Amino acid sequence: MTTTAQQTRAEKRAAKKAKSGSVTSVWTKVGIYLVLSLVAAMMLFPFIFMLGTSAKTASDSFRFPPRVLPRDPVLSEFQGEVVPLFVVPIAGQDRSAALVEEGIRAGLFAPSDNLQETYAWPLDLVEATGATVDVVIEGETETLEIFRVPVNAEVVELAKIRNTSVGRFVDVDNPSAEGFGVVRTSQPVEEISFHWSNYSEVLGIRSFDRAITNTILVTILVVGGQIFTSIMGGYAFARLKWTGRDKLFVMYLGSIMIPFVVLIIPLFQIMVKLDWNNTLGVLVWPFFYTAYGTFLMRQFFLSIPKDLEEAAVVDGAKRWRILWTIFVPLSWPAIATLATFSFLYAWNSFIWPLVAVDIGNEDSSVLTIALSTLGGQGADQPQLIFAGVTLAMVVPMLVFIAAQKYFVENVASSGLK
Amino acid sequence: MTERSITTEHEPGPVLQDSQSDAPRWFLPVVALLALTAVGALVAGVLVFTGTLWGLNGLARLLVGAFLIAIGGGAALGVRDSLARAHRGRAIGVLVNYLVAIVFGFVALQNMGVFIGLDALGDRFFNAVWLLLVIALGWILASQSERFGTRAATVNRVGRWIAAIGGLVLLVGVGLIPGVIEFFVRLIALDVFIPFAIAVAGGAGFWMLRRDEAAALFGTTQDQAEALDGFLFASPNVLGFLAFFAGPLIFSFYVSFTSWDGLTDIQWIGLDNYARIFGLQFTSVGDGQAVTDVLKQNYQELIRWGDFVIAARDRLFWVGLRNIIVFSVTAVPLAVFPGLVLAAFLNQKLPGVKFFRAVYFIPAVAGVVGISLIWKQMFNATVGFVNFGIVKLFDLINLVPGVDVVEPVPEWLSNSRVALFSVVIVFAWQAVGFNTVLFLAGMQGISASLYEAASIDGAGAWSKFWNITVPMLRPTTLFVVATTTILALQLFNEPFILFSPQQQPSGPNNATLTPVIQLYQEGFQRFNQGFASALAWVLFGIIFSITILYFRRQREDDGTLGT
Repeated sequence: MTTTAQQTRAEKRAAKKAKSGSVTSVWTKVGIYLVLSLVAAMMLFPFIFMLGTSAKTASDSFRFPPRVLPRDPVLSEFQGEVVPLFVVPIAGQDRSAALVEEGIRAGLFAPSDNLQETYAWPLDLVEATGATVDVVIEGETETLEIFRVPVNAEVVELAKIRNTSVGRFVDVDNPSAEGFGVVRTSQPVEEISFHWSNYSEVLGIRSFDRAITNTILVTILVVGGQIFTSIMGGYAFARLKWTGRDKLFVMYLGSIMIPFVVLIIPLFQIMVKLDWNNTLGVLVWPFFYTAYGTFLMRQFFLSIPKDLEEAAVVDGAKRWRILWTIFVPLSWPAIATLATFSFLYAWNSFIWPLVAVDIGNEDSSVLTIALSTLGGQGADQPQLIFAGVTLAMVVPMLVFIAAQKYFVENVASSGLK
Repeated sequence: MTERSITTEHEPGPVLQDSQSDAPRWFLPVVALLALTAVGALVAGVLVFTGTLWGLNGLARLLVGAFLIAIGGGAALGVRDSLARAHRGRAIGVLVNYLVAIVFGFVALQNMGVFIGLDALGDRFFNAVWLLLVIALGWILASQSERFGTRAATVNRVGRWIAAIGGLVLLVGVGLIPGVIEFFVRLIALDVFIPFAIAVAGGAGFWMLRRDEAAALFGTTQDQAEALDGFLFASPNVLGFLAFFAGPLIFSFYVSFTSWDGLTDIQWIGLDNYARIFGLQFTSVGDGQAVTDVLKQNYQELIRWGDFVIAARDRLFWVGLRNIIVFSVTAVPLAVFPGLVLAAFLNQKLPGVKFFRAVYFIPAVAGVVGISLIWKQMFNATVGFVNFGIVKLFDLINLVPGVDVVEPVPEWLSNSRVALFSVVIVFAWQAVGFNTVLFLAGMQGISASLYEAASIDGAGAWSKFWNITVPMLRPTTLFVVATTTILALQLFNEPFILFSPQQQPSGPNNATLTPVIQLYQEGFQRFNQGFASALAWVLFGIIFSITILYFRRQREDDGTLGT
């Protein structure tokens, strides 16, 4: 089994090599890889951003400029108190220092010939010269006082623009070295840290965990049901002759083009009549039938040589066994393709659960609805939304990694036939 | 066998007398059951027609009544043919019994509350879901057992056992045993037991007539047996098709001619819903007149050029139509062309192609709701990554001496001029990978000899792409464009998530109102279900014409290329 599979794979590869145009120039190759990588980065970036943000704190996720990785301010202990660390210039050097005191009255000083180069320092530590200077600020002339301010261990005469307040920063290792700075604009010392607790928090919001298991249950049932009816129907359409078969098949093909929204109102009313709406069943029972899946299975069954079944005795009672012991084992590629389609459809369907299940009904909620509600309620907590989105994507991603071949290769060929 | 069945059909009289003598013991009860079904269905049908049974009215009364009488008549015919030992009698018997079993089984399960009982199952499944991991583990172990060399058989067996035990524990965990007990407890209720008993009777009749013994007795030929099997194998599918597709489709068409809020009585209003959708007024405003003076009642201004005014009875429909056309015209090329180019790159014999192909496919797997939530945050006007990226890009551009451009930082989701374009970005970003894979599959189907011939003629890579790949890919391109367009026309999820609930899903100033969003708002927020159905059919009409266009183009191509 494996050796033949390997052989065909090798043949395919050889055929592909012969088919594709050959690229000779190294620069062309580099260019192609560059474009491919750039597009790959564009495709992956939102997901990386999602993962990073899902482990942030709320304030970190609203920070500008935005960052991918979650960070926390670094805390330090100074004289028995826990204080945040900032990068501040102390004695002409940028050092990480602890903020030990806030709200110190200070002045914002600058050289009178260059008012952009501002410098904040406590008023208690400067000395007024008594002199003043006239400067033009935004078209208006203002008189500013001149102070003697210690800048980097030398005293400079600077004009005071306005009052402000600063914090006192102390080098933890060397408490005698201190500096001052405006706390709001100081750059905090940060370290990368992941707040995985967002995940457990989001699981507790409005039965998000229940929505996950509900989605798994619905998906299993829908995929199973669709595979079953499609195998049965595909066999009937491919191999058995019965009155009206071909006409019905044309109708099936036509039904593939009809958008689901045409059915949504009558289907909703049928569910109301049956008392199924607002339960989990409403997401499962109407979706056991799929024209597309029947079509897919029929096409595959048609390609199975007839001798295989003619070898088996054909009579009524044994057709069931022929189907399940001869056809189905040969049809794994088609079944897997159908399963991937059904899986994506069931896992990601949104508009039908939106109309058929009440938003407040947590017992019958599925992930798409839970995410949509979370997106509304948690607008000020993006990290929780992103943790929820990540959780919702875990299963599809795992299935995709495990069954990549069926997603990518067969999905392509089956759509085109 | 064939000859025998022909004789029975031509000479029913004598065979009938014959049959009584050699009929097996099960024969008469089965025929009697069919006769009972015939009488029951006919009586029920008549009662439905007169309105005594179930109190149905209108279309439902006619359809259900006609259906029951057809079944009854068919069953009566089946009784006659069965007595004549004609195959048709057996076929009718099998199908009618099957239907009886299905319909009454459904009623029994429905009255038992099995269908809505899925919620209770969901409750227990919540606690047992981890067992799925055990099953998966066992399955992986079994499927990978070949890697264990000499111990492969043991590993395989262990894997199977783990999966089987996991499955068993899961079944018990979700309440198999109390479920079975509950089933029998609820069976006692009269409204469950009676339909259940009828279903069992139907099932028994079905099983009796399906046996080989019955086939021999009725002289069923191979072809006839095959036809009967065909019906039965197709039946799960066909029943689903009728109940959840064809039936609702007809119902939807009917509702589109009515005024209905889904609760009170349906009112037939003819074409009025469609008249509301398409109602346009072309007029001009004279001097000193206000626009409202010249408009008909209920009409709203749509477009105005100078004095000339176009007004519509349902302005939102035209706004939605304009939006979806603008959307499709921008989003479809953005989702198709890059896919073509990427596929051409992936089609080179370079290592790592599979990796890129998989990466491009991820957005198609990830689910549109989650993706839209991610983009919603990235579109944030002040702290979002999109505007941050734009600023960084323009900083780079401004490094060029003499260039000083002010970077545009639009409010993606609240500015009505760009709102639709943000939806375009999300849609194209998600669709392009899938289209790439489709194009790649198409390219791998192009014969290598064409490229070889071109190489001999000295054609370069670009020339080969333009003169061979693009024309040969025409069928794929048509397919990709058609499917992407049809998908784009049904746009709903992306704008719904991006704009609601902070704004309406129709976006700022109805900038992202699409036909499906209008349908949702009319049908499920204002409960104008008649009007919403009409909207659905208009949308279907648009999609259908694109499909027809696609098929016609495809056929033309087939004709000219001779493939």
